[in-house]
Amino acid sequence: MGQIKYQLPPDEVLAPGHFACPGCGATLTMRYALKALGRKTVVVIPACCWSVIDGPVPYSAAGVPVFHTAFETAASTASGVKAGLDAQGDHETTVLAFAGDGGTFDIGLQALSGAAERNEDFIYICYDNEAYMNTGIQRSSATPFGAWTTTTPAVSPKAEKKKNIIEILAAHRIPYLATASVAYPDDMIAKIRKAKDIRGFKFIHVFSPCPPGWKFEPEDSIKISRMAIESKVFPLIEIIDGIDYALSKEPDGIPVRDYIKMQGRFRHLNDEQIGIIQANVTEDWERLRAKFAPTRKVSRSRRDESTGENKSSQTRNVTRTKNARKRAQKSRG
Amino acid sequence: MTKYKFTTVEEMPPLAFSLESTREIPTGSWRHVRPVYRDKNSPCHVTCPAGEKIPDYFELVRQKKYKEAWYKILEDNPLPGVTGRVCYHPCEGQCNRAGYDGAVAIHNIERFVADKNFKNRKLPAAVEARKSEKVAVIGSGPAGLSCAYQLSRLGYRSVIYEADHEPGGMLRYGIPDYRLPKKILDKEIKDIEALGVEIMVDSKIGDNVAWSELERYDAVFVAVGATHSRKIGAPGEDLKGVYTGIDFLKELSTGNVPKVGRQVLVLGGGNTAIDAARSALRLGKRVTVLYRRTRVEMPAVPEEIEEAEKEGVHFEFLVTPVKISGSKGKASEIELMKMQLGEPDESGRRRPVPVIGSNFSMRADTIISAIGEEPDLSFLPYSFLRKGIRLFVDDEHTTGVPGIFAGGDAATNPNGTVVNAIRAGKEAAISIHEFLGWRSRSNGVSHDAVKPEEVNTFYFPHEGRVEVPRITVQKSKTTFSEVNKTLTEEQALTEAERCFTCGTCLHCDVCMTFCPDVAISKDESGEYTIDYEHCKGCGICVNECPRGAMELVPEGAREAVEEVEHI
Repeated sequence: MGQIKYQLPPDEVLAPGHFACPGCGATLTMRYALKALGRKTVVVIPACCWSVIDGPVPYSAAGVPVFHTAFETAASTASGVKAGLDAQGDHETTVLAFAGDGGTFDIGLQALSGAAERNEDFIYICYDNEAYMNTGIQRSSATPFGAWTTTTPAVSPKAEKKKNIIEILAAHRIPYLATASVAYPDDMIAKIRKAKDIRGFKFIHVFSPCPPGWKFEPEDSIKISRMAIESKVFPLIEIIDGIDYALSKEPDGIPVRDYIKMQGRFRHLNDEQIGIIQANVTEDWERLRAKFAPTRKVSRSRRDESTGENKSSQTRNVTRTKNARKRAQKSRG
Repeated sequence: MTKYKFTTVEEMPPLAFSLESTREIPTGSWRHVRPVYRDKNSPCHVTCPAGEKIPDYFELVRQKKYKEAWYKILEDNPLPGVTGRVCYHPCEGQCNRAGYDGAVAIHNIERFVADKNFKNRKLPAAVEARKSEKVAVIGSGPAGLSCAYQLSRLGYRSVIYEADHEPGGMLRYGIPDYRLPKKILDKEIKDIEALGVEIMVDSKIGDNVAWSELERYDAVFVAVGATHSRKIGAPGEDLKGVYTGIDFLKELSTGNVPKVGRQVLVLGGGNTAIDAARSALRLGKRVTVLYRRTRVEMPAVPEEIEEAEKEGVHFEFLVTPVKISGSKGKASEIELMKMQLGEPDESGRRRPVPVIGSNFSMRADTIISAIGEEPDLSFLPYSFLRKGIRLFVDDEHTTGVPGIFAGGDAATNPNGTVVNAIRAGKEAAISIHEFLGWRSRSNGVSHDAVKPEEVNTFYFPHEGRVEVPRITVQKSKTTFSEVNKTLTEEQALTEAERCFTCGTCLHCDVCMTFCPDVAISKDESGEYTIDYEHCKGCGICVNECPRGAMELVPEGAREAVEEVEHI
């Protein structure tokens, strides 16, 4: 028991000196992704924060080949890079498309849908900082309800809910789909490694806080990410073949208010609006909850585990995963 | 199909590409605050009167290095088996885990470490070279033992003069067996003697040993304790059947069973009163404690009061004795007066005020008066400065007479606990060392401790405090064998794992894990280095540190500059 500790792969592929803002979640996402995938990786980056973070010519922070490409083309370029590697007989190198929420939810959606439908064999990581941060914090379809951005000012904050990209991708019935958070690096790395071993299209949606865009102190980046998970705003899940849902971590269920209050982008919200957000989160959670049987908890409160109350559902989940693995093997063959 | 394979950069088609690493870019210049590793004090260490380095020995316990853990405790306290049992453990009151899921059972771990080393007789060697000076210590209670022990660590020979037949003072004669078995005390005293400390029993200064005999010593430490029970000041207290708490407990601990009647009344609310009450209960008597204030004002350790209650000791609050009466010279009845609480007195507790005309009587076959103890200083040859009934000493434990030091219950600012006496002995030893012309290493404890909000509790899953094993109440109230048991190794390890280790880096890698700038690295020895060339000062490492062992300092501040020079 005792303290929670993380054992990450020791190799540091990402170099320091990159151009990310202090406390950047997207940068931690890249650091963990490269730790998980290793140096035999090609990264495709469309227009997004990471176009800048990687460094100006002639510098690059990634430590692996990076292909910078146009905003809408992350998925199509990655498909091409993968085809090119295959043509050279290189079936080992992992291709990683690494895009922000703008390049995924909005501008790159058709290329993404196409690659998913063709079941292209690469990993697509969307680091979601919930707006076009690089160009100056404009709203995207990933921006949550009620948030301030420069295009949804405090007097009329964003009125629409965040687009449910997970359900869109699940509808494509891709072999592997997961959500991850920078606050749970062990979980994220395990998921990316799992994705690496599966053939076909893999999509990982990472919650990546942005201190300047969300208006909070950079030292709170991890704390806020953790609160997003604990408040059920961003559930940590896995979906196999678009059908089998599994929960990676049972949230403690803290009030959404605690999470909202940490961030300046929500400062203008009144109690009624916060109530709406809480209601939405609860409703979405219930809807999601219905899709998976209560599952193995990678929970802080390990006492729950020891009671063994979820034993039957645990076994059920194991079998589900086994079936999924069989299916994945079949599609590979 | 043609295969394109570029072997040189020149062969590649014209497009912008980067071959250099951003490592060349010194992004550290963006920083305006700087994270630094800075170990801080834990609240338990700051609170412990003896100054035990609790987080340090806990870490050794977790590594199952029990002997090393014992040695770590022995730096500050030669009697861990005793304090692990009887200390009122103020450390636990300040434990940062208290408000989370229960304070860590620190004193149970201390006891576990001591008991694990019960067969281990060799105390660590002295930390300083042998010296020619000799020191006399008067009294072999916790203060005297602690002082003599610390003096021997500093290289001095010391001789303890003990008036009683056996050493230990109040530890032996004032604390009943069910709390502190004699074999534990004997072991720890023998260990101290094995270091070269000489204990002369049956040597009462001013009685069979003349004060002048002390003149051949280079310094004297007076630690005679407070051994005289305060008088009740009510008529009839000299009747048969009226004991003082100290006499009663002393009788018991020397193996005699005092004659007590069926109905025992104990006067007082301190530890002596509770010890006497629980002891009388074990003799099969009906026991009632009479106290002039209420339960909250009782100076006894709360756990002891609870235990006494569980075992069946009755309590009568807000009463004070007026007169003891009896027949044939033997007490049989006590007249009491009711009290009420008035304005707070100098101790901060509300002063009890008599309620006129509220007198009533109670049957009393035996009365044990334990309303406080006073030192007996009649043996002192000159008029020392006193404050009230105690010797006046300053923070260095000097009495005003050069070379004569004092501490423990005989001197000022004691609060009648074992651990405070141990502290007095340790401090006095350091003062004597300095008085004899040596420079001591700094003993200064900074009182800044890690606050609860500086602990990142996310990293510590909820885990309740250990349930201390004990014999049943049914059994405990009939026997003088020890009530509480030592933790099992498994329990001790689980409990030690609960410790946040506030303020001391345990190299858990959390800082490194969450650095977006890849600016923290760990060398072979396990130490961390922050790459200030690239660290942008986001502060995640400081915020995420589970135990408050890091700090953010403004760039250019004195601390930051020092840190750079250190590197």
